Amino acid sequence: MSNEELDSQLSAMFDDELPATECELLARRLARDEQLRGRWGRYAAIGACIRGEHGVRLGAPLASKVSAALTQEAKARAAPDPRSPGISWISSLAGLAMAATVAAAAILWIRAQGPVLVAQSQPGPAVNLAAATNPGPALQVPAAPTQQVAAAPTRPRPSREPDSYVVPAAVSQGPSLVPPTELANYIVAHSAYSGPLMRRNALSALVGEDSASPQITAQPIAETVNGK
Amino acid sequence: MTPVRAAREPLLWLVMTVAAATAVAADTPQSWLNRMNAALTTRNYEGVFSHWQSGRVETLRIVHRVVDGAVTERLESLDGSGRQLVSNGSEMTCYLPDQHTVLVEKAPQSLMPAELPKFSDATADYYQLESLGTIRQMGEKAQVISVTPRDGYRYGYRLWIQRSTGMPLKTELLDTAGNVIEQVVFSSLAMRHHIADDELKPQLVTTGFNWLRDDGAPAVTAEGLGVWTNTQLPPGFHLLAQTAQMMPGVAEPVTHLVFSDGIATVSVFIQSQTIRSSPNQVRAGMAQVGSSSAFTSVQSGHKFVALGEVPPATVRFIIEALMHQSAGEIMQLQPTPDAAAKLAPGLGR
Repeated sequence: MSNEELDSQLSAMFDDELPATECELLARRLARDEQLRGRWGRYAAIGACIRGEHGVRLGAPLASKVSAALTQEAKARAAPDPRSPGISWISSLAGLAMAATVAAAAILWIRAQGPVLVAQSQPGPAVNLAAATNPGPALQVPAAPTQQVAAAPTRPRPSREPDSYVVPAAVSQGPSLVPPTELANYIVAHSAYSGPLMRRNALSALVGEDSASPQITAQPIAETVNGK
Repeated sequence: MTPVRAAREPLLWLVMTVAAATAVAADTPQSWLNRMNAALTTRNYEGVFSHWQSGRVETLRIVHRVVDGAVTERLESLDGSGRQLVSNGSEMTCYLPDQHTVLVEKAPQSLMPAELPKFSDATADYYQLESLGTIRQMGEKAQVISVTPRDGYRYGYRLWIQRSTGMPLKTELLDTAGNVIEQVVFSSLAMRHHIADDELKPQLVTTGFNWLRDDGAPAVTAEGLGVWTNTQLPPGFHLLAQTAQMMPGVAEPVTHLVFSDGIATVSVFIQSQTIRSSPNQVRAGMAQVGSSSAFTSVQSGHKFVALGEVPPATVRFIIEALMHQSAGEIMQLQPTPDAAAKLAPGLGR
């Protein structure tokens, strides 16, 4: 497979347009092809930056180049070139990506949400959700974090399920209260009690963190001091 | 018909019926899940797999050895970071060469008998199990099992289980809308009779690394645990374990509660802190590591962290219920009679 074809596959992968079977083949190739991993790293960094994902940070030289390229691309879109319709972002950035180095990209893979300042308040009145969700003993849960929504029509459901489901409400986003090292400690401690499959997956996520993840510190969150 | 033959025929039918029933039972989705868990916890194996999550892929090697029930495992990133994790029954060591850091986590003493999540008939109230047939995966015959949650408090799974060994060759984690949010696919897998000690040692030099570890055995007591164990939980979750353990960077023992619905587990960590903020304010935040969700809240001199392979809102639900409960009880950190009765001899006050 030529480099051009590989680039095309990588591009499709980051656009979520590559079939799962081809993703698997590409993963195997990534495992043994260092050069391809390098390209993958660059595309991942640039793609994440373009999508404006939370917790993604590029090294300054690469960030400025990406910014400049995005500006150019915006101008190009304002005046489209009829000779190259449908060109993807990855194509317009290919030259830039190839020139950049993996080391220049610093990606914070731990996606963080919060902190949010929440007014001290009592949870709302408890509602009995058990009747709607399970035939077991009644369990009282606070109403605040839940909402009633209709079942997703595209998902096959067991026949015994009710027509509607209790789905937890979405959570807000922002920076985390827990530094990455402390979070890693919690994951390790938690994994001792996970089932074998979940344990392996959780630890894989921890071990597989990107090489340029946040700086480790042993201190708890900055706003607090340990001790009673 | 001779008397002997007449006596044998019902026996033969009985044997055949039992054999047929056993064969059917052995092919149920639940039996495949049990086979998979048994294979993952009792077999020696070595393999390479790809871990897809949040639009990125990592390639890892795993070496897993079981000797007399004791599990030793090495997990190594084959990509840029070169991170490795070595665990045995007593501690887990995470080597982070990119951070010049080694994390050492000692296994905690549990105040309840150590137990892993177990799929039971009760668990079936919260998940629908289905067998989706047999296909080829990695050139092997694999049984495909679907585990679909019945509500929004847990994730779903699809598992490609090797028929000959019970090992999961491919797994998918699905969010509450049925979208794949994590995928693990083995590209090579070998079941091994013997794994040498050297294969479980980290292949890197740690000179100059910063070691973060708990320096002493924690003084495990029941103080402060019981008050948290009667909190409201999402349907199907129950208390699986409770302990207090030392953690790197934290001066005092951290209370650790584990809740499970038979498949998913959620850990809650509670630690005391002096907070430089108004006591009438609650600070809260969400984080995501792999498919694990973590929700943190700081209130009334305590930091609460819930972490587990469940949707973000589930960990938030548990923490908010705990904090609701703590509003009236946080200053009275006394174990309930039930919790005290569960204490292992010698570990309680």
